[in-house]
Amino acid sequence: MNYQFLLETFFVALSGVPIALLVTVVALLIALPLGFLLALTRINKIPVIHHLAKIYVSFVRGTPIIIQIFIMYSSIPLMLKIIFEKYNINYDIYKINPIWYAFIVFAFSTTAILIEVFRSALSTIEKGQLEAAHATGLTTFQAYRRIIIPQALVVAMPNICTATVNLIKATSLGYAMSLPEITLKAKVAANVGYNYVEAYIDIFIVYLILCSTVEFLFKRYEKHLSKFKAANA
Amino acid sequence: MLEIKNIHKSFGNNEILKGVDLAIDKGDVVVILGPSGSGKTTLLRCINFLENADQGNATFGDIQVDFQHVKKKDVHAIRQRVAFVFQNYNLFTNKTALENVTEGLIIGRKVPKAQAIEIGKKALDKVGLSEKYDAYPSQLSGGQQQRVGIARAVALNPDIILFDEPTSALDPELVGEVLQVMKNIAAEGTTMLVVTHEMGFAKDVANRVIFMDGGVVVEEGSPHDIFVNPKEERTKKFLKRVIPEDYTFYI
Amino acid sequence: MEKYFDASYIWNSIPVLLPFLKVTFLVAGSSIVLGTIFGLLLAAAKLSSVKLLQKLANLYTTIMRCTPSIVLLFLVYYGVPALAENVGINLHSIETAIFVVVTFTLQFAAIMSEVIRSAYLAIPKGQFEAAVSVGLTPIQAYRRIIFPQALVVALPNFGNGMIALLQEGALAYTIGLIDIVGKANLIIASNINAHALEIYIALAIVYWVLSIIIEKFFAMLEKFFGKGKKTLETT
Repeated sequence: MNYQFLLETFFVALSGVPIALLVTVVALLIALPLGFLLALTRINKIPVIHHLAKIYVSFVRGTPIIIQIFIMYSSIPLMLKIIFEKYNINYDIYKINPIWYAFIVFAFSTTAILIEVFRSALSTIEKGQLEAAHATGLTTFQAYRRIIIPQALVVAMPNICTATVNLIKATSLGYAMSLPEITLKAKVAANVGYNYVEAYIDIFIVYLILCSTVEFLFKRYEKHLSKFKAANA
Repeated sequence: MLEIKNIHKSFGNNEILKGVDLAIDKGDVVVILGPSGSGKTTLLRCINFLENADQGNATFGDIQVDFQHVKKKDVHAIRQRVAFVFQNYNLFTNKTALENVTEGLIIGRKVPKAQAIEIGKKALDKVGLSEKYDAYPSQLSGGQQQRVGIARAVALNPDIILFDEPTSALDPELVGEVLQVMKNIAAEGTTMLVVTHEMGFAKDVANRVIFMDGGVVVEEGSPHDIFVNPKEERTKKFLKRVIPEDYTFYI
Repeated sequence: MEKYFDASYIWNSIPVLLPFLKVTFLVAGSSIVLGTIFGLLLAAAKLSSVKLLQKLANLYTTIMRCTPSIVLLFLVYYGVPALAENVGINLHSIETAIFVVVTFTLQFAAIMSEVIRSAYLAIPKGQFEAAVSVGLTPIQAYRRIIFPQALVVALPNFGNGMIALLQEGALAYTIGLIDIVGKANLIIASNINAHALEIYIALAIVYWVLSIIIEKFFAMLEKFFGKGKKTLETT
């Protein structure tokens, strides 16, 4: 066991954390509102869209994420190439930073997950809440913003935490897109001297710290939210 | 038949039973009254070992038990003679009404299935649920579920049936049907120990009433003694709270 | 001009890929069985009154929950032989599949421990009390009353866990397992990376169909075992 390598590579792995977090945050920023809206279309059975959403969710949940990544990474550059050629944009698609692909793939996958999360959270909110809001003169939009969404968030928070942790873990698959995140960076360092065991121990530790911190933060936030709930009970 | 001496039970630092004595004879219908927290339910649950009393002893026919040193086979033996009716019915949700009633017979007492089914059907008939043999608890009203619970207890042909606030979880209009079933069972000579707030039942059916408060027996006697001539202050205060001022008991 | 995308390739590659589902199933199946057994032990530890056991079981679950599958795969693949070397055992000729099964057993056990624990806790204590009150021994009470009810509660989560395991299993190719994904990558490599997209789409279709089959199967099981439960409307 090469302890010096173990220590050095730890920091190499750590250097991948910002990218992993960036991808996670951007994916969540897109997926949360989008997932919520699509969940609403499912609940209110808006024609066409809710069927499409159902198929979309089924696909994301039914196929391994690595295969989704393969498909996107093989097809999006191709599609972009065609679009660029059509509009005579002189940009080399191979120069596009892989992180953009990462944003797209992970937002795509997380949105589907969140649709289900919000669907079940919203179903726990009594219909009476919306009726009461209307009765006191709020528009539907205001009702959702001030009454429904805050309540749904509290219910959904544990599942959003799980989805976030899963998202962070999924970034480890970024190697398929040459994304310089935690796993890839440490693996590259390990390839030099074949110190795989040390490298993977470091990767393992970094993810452990990262995910437990995220879980801890979420639990704190959930506690804060539940205080809010109890005060209004 | 059943004699309990000096039973003590604490939950953490809270002593719920502070030395209770109880004696039941065959054919007795004993009602325990008292405010919440007085230990009535705990007493009942200690008798069939759903709770483990800290101290005291019990004599059940030929079985003697010291609550501090309870033997598993004694627990099992006593549970064969004592049946329990729960406040929340606790019917087995994955079994039909008939299966609920026969479960204890077939598995607990090794009664042959055909015989158990016959006994079960008779018990369900007795509580007025002949059409509901194959209904699942989720398909029954609260009152019906509790009647199945009583049938389940009756079918075991126990020496004594313990009732833990059998009607407290029921909607008011369903209480009557359950009390009627209990009256019928009492009339057949079943030995019953009932914790309840239903004063009418205590007055009409019980032959002994025990008033508990703060973990001890405050007063006991016949319904006439307790309701018409209460001796203790605490008893009087309790009765005043639960019975309207101008109500006169005709016993 | 060379065809970038040949849709017929998708359908043509499926018959080539399907035989390798055997490997996928074997590995997934073993992991599920072993993982459930281990998960049962973990759940028992979490529910026991021994604080140390509880803490260890919870620690294990947290570690597994925070570790990406691919990292766990490599850790097991490189780490276990390295550990074994220190003790003098040579594990270098062990089938890749064994390492895959070990990895996913460890992972599935963590998931199952939570599924089993929450299913057990969902059954009201009163069911057990009623059972012993009518004369059942505690073991009989668990077997005949608690377990059947807990099974129904656990079934949907077990189904989801199974589907998740199947998806994570697709990563086994990274340590060299030739299951359906491994074979797909071999085909792509032999075609010098042409028509990769079509093969990936074929893979996606196979997995998608499998997941739907498992979903429907578990929905059927829930209906069958859930006799006596009020059915909820599915939105």
